[in-house]
Amino acid sequence: MTIRPLIAAALAAGLFIPLATLAAPEVGKSAPDFKAVAADGTTVELSALRGKTVVLEWTNHDCPFVMKHYRTGNMQATQAKAAEQGALWFQVISSEPGSQGHVSGERAQALNAERDVTAVTNTLLDEKGTVGQAYGAQVTPHMYVIDADGVLRYMGGIDSIATARDADIDKATNYVVEALDAMKAGDNVPNPVTRPYGCTVKYAS
Amino acid sequence: MSIGDASRACSHAAVALACALAAAVAGAQQQGPQVDTPHVSARLVASAQAVAPGETVTVGLAKTIIPGWHTYWRNPGDSGLATTIDWDAPAGVTMGDIQWPAPERHSLGPVTNYGYEGEVTLLSPLTVPADAEPGSTLALRAAVSWLVCEDICIPEDVELELALPVAETTRGDGHPAIDAARARLPVASPWSARHAIGEDGLRLAVDTGALPAGANDIWFFPYDWGRIDQSAEQRLSRTDQGVVLATPRGQAPPDETPLAGVLVIREDTPDGMLTTAFELSAPRVETVAAGEPVAATPDVPTPTIGLGLALLFALAGGLILNLMPCVFPVLAMKVLALVRSGGDAAGVRGHGLAYLGGVLASFALLAAVVLALQQGGARLGWGFQFQSPVFVVMVAWLLFAVGLNLSGVFMIGGGRLAGIGQSLTTRGGHSGSFFTGVLAAVVATPCTAPFMGAAIGFAMTQPPASLVAIFLALGLGLALPFVVLAWRPALVARLPKPGAWMERFKQFLAFPMYGAAVWLVWVLALQAGADGVLVAAGGMLAIALAAWLYDTTWASGVRARRGAQALAAVLIVATLAVGSGLATQPRETPAAARVGALLAHQPYAPERFDALRAEGRAVFVNMTAAWCITCIVNEQVALERADVAAAFAERDIAYLKGDWTNQDAAITAVLERFGRSGVPLYLYYPPGADTEAVVLPQILTPDIVLDAIGA
Repeated sequence: MTIRPLIAAALAAGLFIPLATLAAPEVGKSAPDFKAVAADGTTVELSALRGKTVVLEWTNHDCPFVMKHYRTGNMQATQAKAAEQGALWFQVISSEPGSQGHVSGERAQALNAERDVTAVTNTLLDEKGTVGQAYGAQVTPHMYVIDADGVLRYMGGIDSIATARDADIDKATNYVVEALDAMKAGDNVPNPVTRPYGCTVKYAS
Repeated sequence: MSIGDASRACSHAAVALACALAAAVAGAQQQGPQVDTPHVSARLVASAQAVAPGETVTVGLAKTIIPGWHTYWRNPGDSGLATTIDWDAPAGVTMGDIQWPAPERHSLGPVTNYGYEGEVTLLSPLTVPADAEPGSTLALRAAVSWLVCEDICIPEDVELELALPVAETTRGDGHPAIDAARARLPVASPWSARHAIGEDGLRLAVDTGALPAGANDIWFFPYDWGRIDQSAEQRLSRTDQGVVLATPRGQAPPDETPLAGVLVIREDTPDGMLTTAFELSAPRVETVAAGEPVAATPDVPTPTIGLGLALLFALAGGLILNLMPCVFPVLAMKVLALVRSGGDAAGVRGHGLAYLGGVLASFALLAAVVLALQQGGARLGWGFQFQSPVFVVMVAWLLFAVGLNLSGVFMIGGGRLAGIGQSLTTRGGHSGSFFTGVLAAVVATPCTAPFMGAAIGFAMTQPPASLVAIFLALGLGLALPFVVLAWRPALVARLPKPGAWMERFKQFLAFPMYGAAVWLVWVLALQAGADGVLVAAGGMLAIALAAWLYDTTWASGVRARRGAQALAAVLIVATLAVGSGLATQPRETPAAARVGALLAHQPYAPERFDALRAEGRAVFVNMTAAWCITCIVNEQVALERADVAAAFAERDIAYLKGDWTNQDAAITAVLERFGRSGVPLYLYYPPGADTEAVVLPQILTPDIVLDAIGA
């Protein structure tokens, strides 16, 4: 029992165990930079896109919530709206290989063609989850809007009614459209952080 | 029919029989047709078979989810969706908001959700219009949507129905699924709470007082998304007022409104894991009261070293035992005797192993005794944890006494037993070696007892398996040198010669003991303040004086020795009495005073009880304690209710409440009479001087209480 002081030291050390949690970025601050491989084989680097508004959409084509917004055309319409305003739109797939939503670059492009997706700049293949973890992306769809200066202006859900029912889209406020409109008008984004809803991102464990 | 729901509620042995009966008659329950999706079976159930106009009953959405999948709580956490119910009820019928049973946490990688696995029933109050026609039937329909997830998620929608007859009076025995859900509903928190937002995150303080040491799994589930980081650890710390949870903030902007949600406390009890949930609303304050540290700074150090490290220390401790003056000389002699006895190498090794067996057997026996003490003591409500100031001061004194012994202030048995070890060398055969091992453990006691005392003190805080492992490691350490020497007898020549160095080494070992005692006094200062330090230091003075008296008079005449020993004994007893007073000073609101006042009570006293019985009054006895969570929940859920209070008043039942927070002897006697080792205990004595007590279960519902008193 000559061990108590050692116990005290061991105990004190044990209390500072690091935690594996998602550190979400902050609205109003610089969005985390990333460099990711895209579906067409090119590399996309956020810091190289200054001067343009950038929208990030975490996606998983088999997730019922993603399907809700694509089969109704709501997501395509939102993408088109962003494109009209000169914004770049990137889908991000953070599903690990073998899990729901993980696809090859070719398949990602084919999926977009099948769903009449035309206004997406590129699809980022983030199978290690590094971009997702940097942004604290939790669900699909989880949306982020970054302004021309690289500042994060919006993060959260696609809209205000968290269901998988198609009929709710018309009743809901589309937060991405709201954010883009406010930014275009030079106003503050009215709801800069909202609760994202959807399927859990299938991160590599 | 969800027999499973019934079995969940029946996890407590005391109510198992009642539940089995409830499940057996469940065929008579009011429930709608079951609807199955690929992942969930659902139906509507009702708490009554028929409902009277103007009255309120409970309707439940009972779900059975396939293994591995879950549905969500009202705040689903990082992802997911809460179940929604869209009622289509006949005109005039009103449906209240969903009452949600306490959720569980489900983590998938870095994402954490709040929800339910297995069976869950969501409750909604249904009020029938006053003009409903008895004899008619209410047709209730519900469009229910939920998201059910494993690692992937499926949204599902079902349409459910329930026909509920309207009758002159509400009748029925409830429904097992509803009863099970009610047992999981959070109760209003009896404690005040507040929260503060700082640079390092959010801190929630709940004034629970001193919770039982087993209540270490405490989690706060907020009602709103974004207030806290749902996936992050909630660091628990204990303060004078209760507990503080510290956790990073969520993504929502800082909010001035109170932080509302459910605090779930899981307590490890001898009867298994006990889960209780409290609904609380914590107003925002600038900071949580000064002196309340976050968990990152250890306010009350609780020595929880890993088992591996503990075993290593025990092994080292056992090895050190070999260097004690009454063990070391014997060691070499015994090995030499074996070699000289002319056995071959294999024979000598056999003796070595037999010796090892003997030592280990002795230590296993000792472990069994300590284990029995620990388990028995825990049942008596002794806290063998370093959270308990009494335990801390006792261990500090023990270590101090060990130090005094090593310093040579006193010797156990006056050191006159030390020579016995030499007789060990006279035995032969493997059984002889085995018992030599036993004797080595026993006979070495004068030297090893102090060490063993310290080891026992530490082992007391360990779970049973670790406790036994620690003792075996200690025994292995003690036996190891002998076994090594039996394998390589040539090494005997390399051993240092016994001599004065052993005494000096022993004296040196006193200092780590004093050091450890100093550390524990510091721990005590944090737990019990300056008074605690005074008690600890004063006790050390008394112990030192007692030890000196004991030793210095050993060789004196009988009368002087007896007198000195009596005085020493008085000193020790007085010290221990003062020390045990450390915990019994209540540091919180007594249990009897804590919960509201719907039901007027008198404090329990045997005289008062006897007088009431002599009058022939009906008496309801509630034995409770401030640190008993079950007791608090029972009072909230089943006793402090208008209907129960009315029934008590109507029947002129005297309500006596015994507060066992300070382990009152009169209450202990009552507990023992009913074969209980702790609270809660609920007794009902029907009117009449000679009636027998009805013992109520340890988990109460209003119906159990009302049934017992014949309401």
